[in-house]
Amino acid sequence: MSELDMSQYLGIFLDEAEEQLQQLDEAIVKLEQSPDDIELLNTIFRAAHTLKGSSASMGFNRLATLTHRMENVLDLLRQGKMAVNREIIDVLLASLDRLRLLKDGLAAGSGESGEIDDVVARLESVLAPQKAAGDAAEKGGGHNLTLDDIEENVIRAAQVKGFNPYEIQVRLEQGCQMKGARAYLVFNNLKDVGEIIKSIPHTQDLEAERFDDTFTLVLVSREDADTLANIVKSISEIQEVVVRPIRLAEDMEKTTRKAPAAGGGEGPISQAEGRGGENRITQTVRVDVQRLENLMNLVGELVIDRTRLAEVGNGLKARLGSEELLETLEEVSMHIGRITSDLQEEIMKARMFPIDQVFNRFPRMVRDLARKAGKEIDFIVEGRETELDRTVIEEIGDPLIHLLRNAIDHGIEDPAERLKAGKPRRGTVRLRAFHQENQIVITVEDDGAGMDPEKIKAKAVEKGLISREAAARLHPREALDLIFQPGFSTADKVTDVSGRGVGMDIVRAHLEKINGTIDIRTTPGKGTCFTIKLPLTLAINRSLLVQNGGQVYAFPLANVIEIISITPAEIQYVHRQQVVVVRGRVLPLVYLGHALGQARELPPGESYAVVIVGLAEKQIGFIVENLIGEQEIVIKSLGNFIGKIPGIAGATIMGDGSVALILDVRSLIDGLGVEANRELAS
Amino acid sequence: MANGTAAEVQLVVFQLAGETYGVDINYVQEIIRMQNITPIPRTPAFIEGVINLRGRIIPVIDLHKRFHLPQGEVTNNTRIMVVEMGRVTVGMIVDSVSEVLRLPVASIEPPPSMISGIDVAYLKGVGKWNERLIILLDLERVLQESEQRQLEQGMAAGVDGQ
Repeated sequence: MSELDMSQYLGIFLDEAEEQLQQLDEAIVKLEQSPDDIELLNTIFRAAHTLKGSSASMGFNRLATLTHRMENVLDLLRQGKMAVNREIIDVLLASLDRLRLLKDGLAAGSGESGEIDDVVARLESVLAPQKAAGDAAEKGGGHNLTLDDIEENVIRAAQVKGFNPYEIQVRLEQGCQMKGARAYLVFNNLKDVGEIIKSIPHTQDLEAERFDDTFTLVLVSREDADTLANIVKSISEIQEVVVRPIRLAEDMEKTTRKAPAAGGGEGPISQAEGRGGENRITQTVRVDVQRLENLMNLVGELVIDRTRLAEVGNGLKARLGSEELLETLEEVSMHIGRITSDLQEEIMKARMFPIDQVFNRFPRMVRDLARKAGKEIDFIVEGRETELDRTVIEEIGDPLIHLLRNAIDHGIEDPAERLKAGKPRRGTVRLRAFHQENQIVITVEDDGAGMDPEKIKAKAVEKGLISREAAARLHPREALDLIFQPGFSTADKVTDVSGRGVGMDIVRAHLEKINGTIDIRTTPGKGTCFTIKLPLTLAINRSLLVQNGGQVYAFPLANVIEIISITPAEIQYVHRQQVVVVRGRVLPLVYLGHALGQARELPPGESYAVVIVGLAEKQIGFIVENLIGEQEIVIKSLGNFIGKIPGIAGATIMGDGSVALILDVRSLIDGLGVEANRELAS
Repeated sequence: MANGTAAEVQLVVFQLAGETYGVDINYVQEIIRMQNITPIPRTPAFIEGVINLRGRIIPVIDLHKRFHLPQGEVTNNTRIMVVEMGRVTVGMIVDSVSEVLRLPVASIEPPPSMISGIDVAYLKGVGKWNERLIILLDLERVLQESEQRQLEQGMAAGVDGQ
């Protein structure tokens, strides 16, 4: 691969490598705790194997060599020829650290900086006692071909397409002079008739002539065994060729799949990962998100041009009357419109991933946390298949981890306490994801002690977050909102888990960054449920478009509760704050122009449109000059130069090519310093 | 000419409040006609707003306001010069874009202490070309500073002002 080609793939490679390193990191730590988990070992092996493969194909020799050595160690563990011990874990983690160093070097453009010899030596020393035994077994000529899941999957996929898998054993003549070259010729000739998916020993060893006389290949081909044997035999200095069809025995499959379920109950997690791996090989292509973003932009342009095309058509029609050519133009422009919408939808879909990617890691985490906290917890996960945009997936992990920790640490009571309260010993934490209209809803629910608004108020007063008087005025549901204040923690004792300084304020900030909302429902003694609502995607948002001061603005529909119309006479004042009474409830009013720092005074009018927005328990009405309607908009950032503007979440391009601003309701309200209806409602 | 790159700069020359300015052509992405600009609340006055440049949202600044020069009228010749520096792409409103020319580096002098009110910090120098003076902008300064200090000032003004 030339330099030029490689740079093209470097980004993808680095992404993948990062993913695999993370997977390895997690899995190896897990392995220390459950050393007999075969499926876990398989996962680790697969990740190392994939990393090795991609490093080698990118020409990153150090990465490839190191992962190869790791793979050797892992393979022995997997086959049960060696037991997991502290030393091995240490070496594996050390290797991992080194891999990361190499990878970071590549990312920084400084090449594979860092030596690997010392780590390789450590890995070798772990291998040494086993190697002699292993070699002996191989020399015995035993039929010991083992395939990992990935290879099996490749074979299955190939079978579907009419390829047959073969195991080809090649023995070179004794004293063959150029073993590496011979092996290369075998590879090369076989490549013309099929695909080699595995070689024992590995190709690097073959090239370096690190083998005796024999090597084994796994090949998928449409040719029959005799033809393949003849192809190999046509190369000189070949002593013997044995071609055997491979049958993926059902029982063999069962052992690999059943084992983990019996082993440690890690089944669902790891199997899901296995499935992901299979998909990647057979059906999916990895695409840079930036690419998709660019595609999306291009489609956006098409949409705009489509509109302009239609306008040109109309203009011509007005001037020239009805003509055949114009009708064609109309047809074409309609067709382009349809295609554009379809394109847009397809690209959006291409960015969707099942949320399982995030949920995957939770069962283990919950178990560990529960054990640490001395609690007994059933963890139920629902809606793993719910799909959402990749950008959202990336952001949702941390908030969920925190909510789960909270549920385990503060929500669920000790077993003894639960029994005393007449509840079952084991608590339940339920994580659920589902679609609701244009949103994803994720709930984290526990049947624990629930939260007491009075206690929360007391805590907030104690921490100086709110005055005693203000606390007394708070509605119980507003009191719950206090836990989102920076510096608040309901923990009476600082535990290992909660004492890390990540508070609910961070959770909310995280969620708002991706246009999400979070709500709490709680019943003291019965449990707590956090409900997160997220847009399906960060890129597209359903919005309410309004017009104000000659400009178009978009309210994210997630924030809009209702739209009402009021007359100037209905506007009243409380503490110099404009309010209106809606169905008996006092609602603060703000003129949008004022909120945006433009005009302070309302333009004269007989009636005003009011957009009522809600943030948790706060509600506020924005007076706008004109309502335009609902529309799906593509969210774009204002860029680095302008940066973050309070009240503005971004911009979008309208059908006519003009730019409209998207409002950030929370910061808009915060900027006003309006106490919303907290004070007024009481 | 081939090895002239070191000895000369290639400039896009434009007019601003009756004066002639130049920026390095390497930064100039394109030059477009004046178009509808969407104002952004709570930004400094010199930020006119944003435009849609083929699907990208690009901020547009008015160089008159940026340099505190007398405001010109928008005419048929008014252009938005889209410049790109690092991660920042910005449109700059100028009165007109006249030409592209090569200027020997040797003919560029350091900026005099004061040029008709425009802050010397934004200048790279003054080039002489056929008896004409061309003011060379230090684009990096123009864009960098506006990103930080000016924006904060503007925001403060936007909150308590008006």
